[in-house]
Amino acid sequence: MAPPSEDALTKVSTDAATEFVQSFYPALQSNRETISSFYNQTICMILFNGNVVADGQAVQEIFVNQMPPAHYEIQSFDCQIINQAYPTPTATGLKAPNETTLKDKSILVLVSGYVQFGESRDVPQRGFSETFVLVPNPSADGPKGKCKREWLIESQTFRLVV
Amino acid sequence: MNMKGGKGPRGRSSGSTRGGIRKRGATKRVDRDGDLAMDAGSAQGRGKKGRGDSSRSVATGPRAQTRDRALDAIQKAITSNADSQANIRQGGRGSSLEQVSIRGWKQSKAASNRDGGVESLIAFLEKKLNTSDSKAGSRAKITKSRVEGDAFIVSIRPELLERMLKMNGFSFAGAPLTIQLYDPSTNGMDQTMLSEMSQNGTPSAADTKSKMTTILRKRYYQQEKLLNLSKLGNDPDLLAMGIFNSTSTESKFFPALMKVWDMNFDNSTVRREAVESVSLADNQLANIAVITTLAQTFPDLKNLDLSNNNFKDSQSLIGWRWKFRNLEFLDLTGTPYSADPSFKDTMLKWYPKLRFLNNTEVRTAEEVASQKKTPIPVQAPHFQDESQIGENFIKAFFAGYDSNRTDLLNGVYDGNSTFSLNVNTAAPRVLQTETASWDPYIKKSRNLLKINHLPARMSRSYVGAEKIRDLWNTLPQTRHPDIGAHPEEWLIECFPIPGLPDPSGQSPTGVGGLLIMVHGKFEEINGPKVELRSFDRTFILGPGGGMGGIRVINDVLCLRAHGGHEAWKLEQPIVQPIQPGPPPVQPQTVPPAAPNGYGMPAPGKPDVQLQQEQLTMEISAKTGMTLQYSEMALSGNGWNMDAALKNFEELKAQGQLPPDAFLSGAV
Repeated sequence: MAPPSEDALTKVSTDAATEFVQSFYPALQSNRETISSFYNQTICMILFNGNVVADGQAVQEIFVNQMPPAHYEIQSFDCQIINQAYPTPTATGLKAPNETTLKDKSILVLVSGYVQFGESRDVPQRGFSETFVLVPNPSADGPKGKCKREWLIESQTFRLVV
Repeated sequence: MNMKGGKGPRGRSSGSTRGGIRKRGATKRVDRDGDLAMDAGSAQGRGKKGRGDSSRSVATGPRAQTRDRALDAIQKAITSNADSQANIRQGGRGSSLEQVSIRGWKQSKAASNRDGGVESLIAFLEKKLNTSDSKAGSRAKITKSRVEGDAFIVSIRPELLERMLKMNGFSFAGAPLTIQLYDPSTNGMDQTMLSEMSQNGTPSAADTKSKMTTILRKRYYQQEKLLNLSKLGNDPDLLAMGIFNSTSTESKFFPALMKVWDMNFDNSTVRREAVESVSLADNQLANIAVITTLAQTFPDLKNLDLSNNNFKDSQSLIGWRWKFRNLEFLDLTGTPYSADPSFKDTMLKWYPKLRFLNNTEVRTAEEVASQKKTPIPVQAPHFQDESQIGENFIKAFFAGYDSNRTDLLNGVYDGNSTFSLNVNTAAPRVLQTETASWDPYIKKSRNLLKINHLPARMSRSYVGAEKIRDLWNTLPQTRHPDIGAHPEEWLIECFPIPGLPDPSGQSPTGVGGLLIMVHGKFEEINGPKVELRSFDRTFILGPGGGMGGIRVINDVLCLRAHGGHEAWKLEQPIVQPIQPGPPPVQPQTVPPAAPNGYGMPAPGKPDVQLQQEQLTMEISAKTGMTLQYSEMALSGNGWNMDAALKNFEELKAQGQLPPDAFLSGAV
């Protein structure tokens, strides 16, 4: 198989990041019961202001049970491919590089924006920086379910910076 | 400044201290005037400074020297302005567009449109610009626009300026428009206006400016960072200038005064820090229309005295609804609005940091602080290194990025390393000051929100050390704070991640490496100018052929306006995060009152220091002493815990420890 063109790589990674950013933050805001669906089964690390959170389910519980309403505003984001031949897990083990397709990538996403905690528009805007590693959803290929996300969070580091 | 005990920020609790301010002004006047008389007339005709670059200087170092410099700067500005009309017209900061302010549109029928009539106003202006004399090939367009109070500010190409100004007086949806050249700091002050204002003396702008300088110097208290502009109507100097003889000069006086103030500073930080308090008491103001530029000149004001004026309702102050975001003290006593039942609630809502309103405490410091609190408690950075690889990399990286980017690239970047940068031009910042232009970066910025086309997305991603070098060579020189000396200015988190590409091919299913997130600030050195900016930078390091057997796989840089480092300071005292049910959040234990990163390993922190910090925290926990006293106890006893504790008990028994040796609440 010929190596994918630079166009194709850029398209697949930037589309993935865009789609992710544009669905994840709205979910934090107003669709919190779907939060866990953004996370991979295997989590490398999830950090919120230095607090370690175990997995997607735990993130969802925190947002559903503990977090006041929050308004997120994304002001800038960028992404890069980390591994062009990401060893996506399959039923028979990890994919070897010669088995990988255009979708078998891991993607680094860096987001910059602000969040306002609480319902009022008068509360201060807190600047944040958030880094994600996205990996392919191993079960996204299957025909079942319309809500399958193609890319899932493997690691996440959120920090208030302003 | 003492904010305790319900007193105002200047420690005043009654009218007497307030009188004090004025009395001081009176007693010192001779001195100040004397000062001025000696200085005035010197320092003429040096250099040229256009009004566009808003020449500023002043206010560090010894007073006299500062004063000389201030005067010098003003004199320069005056001389150059008097010399050359062209300077006046150049306007804003070397931009290639001209800004024009349009007023009167709010009285038009279109103002009741949903957008306030802005869209139809633009359409109207563009149509008129094109019909009047459209020989010039390209279509006239309003490139940028914004609303500032009742002014609508538009940017147009310079060649359209004349045509635009000719439209002054045109009728738009039933209302006549006033169209003037816009000046960012004065909203339209020009040479004519300064001359107009000096009706009694020599009708020269320079003369007016120097008189205004006198007035400002007389009323500025450097020590107290106070600009006392109260009772302007009784100021003999202003009366002598005839400022209040006509409404036209009266309305132009204040913007001009602010402009002259601005001209004293060429360093925005110094200008920002020069004044914390302004008094505009006893000025018979019915609204802020005339003084609205105060908010542009002093956006970070903490204390504002507007007492004994004629403000009737919130509407008379509405122009400052979103200004003065750091206001802590506001005095509106003696204004009709103070009696309004909604007065207090409205002011609390407008100014989130307001602590004293009409000399009464309306919020405690804790209440202000709690607004900033986040539902996600701020913990020390999570720094999980492997064999100090992350620590060594960070130390070497920022030193190298500042001093020798080529060496850095040769050392740890290879043919597949990827770098890209993005600029968050709208990021929140600590102080409401202008951010230096993003020009050096913006054409390289890969903000995917804005860069939507695939070719641009491709060209703004830099793969391979060579391409990265070419880019880095075009980026401004930087100076990052020393990590060891200023650890609090950095926030660095790090942990191992799997699934990285292995260039050796030995691990086809991926190898491990490190994900490192760095937040901090840097100084950008652009010739003589130094700008402060903040950044977020994420790296992925993997095994490779570079120095120390590593390579940079990814390097993503986000640039933003300076946002300080308050955000990652640990909340004090550390409160347990709210956690009903099973605790998914595992807070790390940090002692109260320890600065961020204290007692924690950090890149660049020597082991000895870390041990000492941990001992200090231990003894602090045992004795209730502050970290400072704890450290003194330890260092005085050769860092021997037992000896230090013994010593502590002795001193305590003898009553030799001052109260401030202890953490509040510990005794």
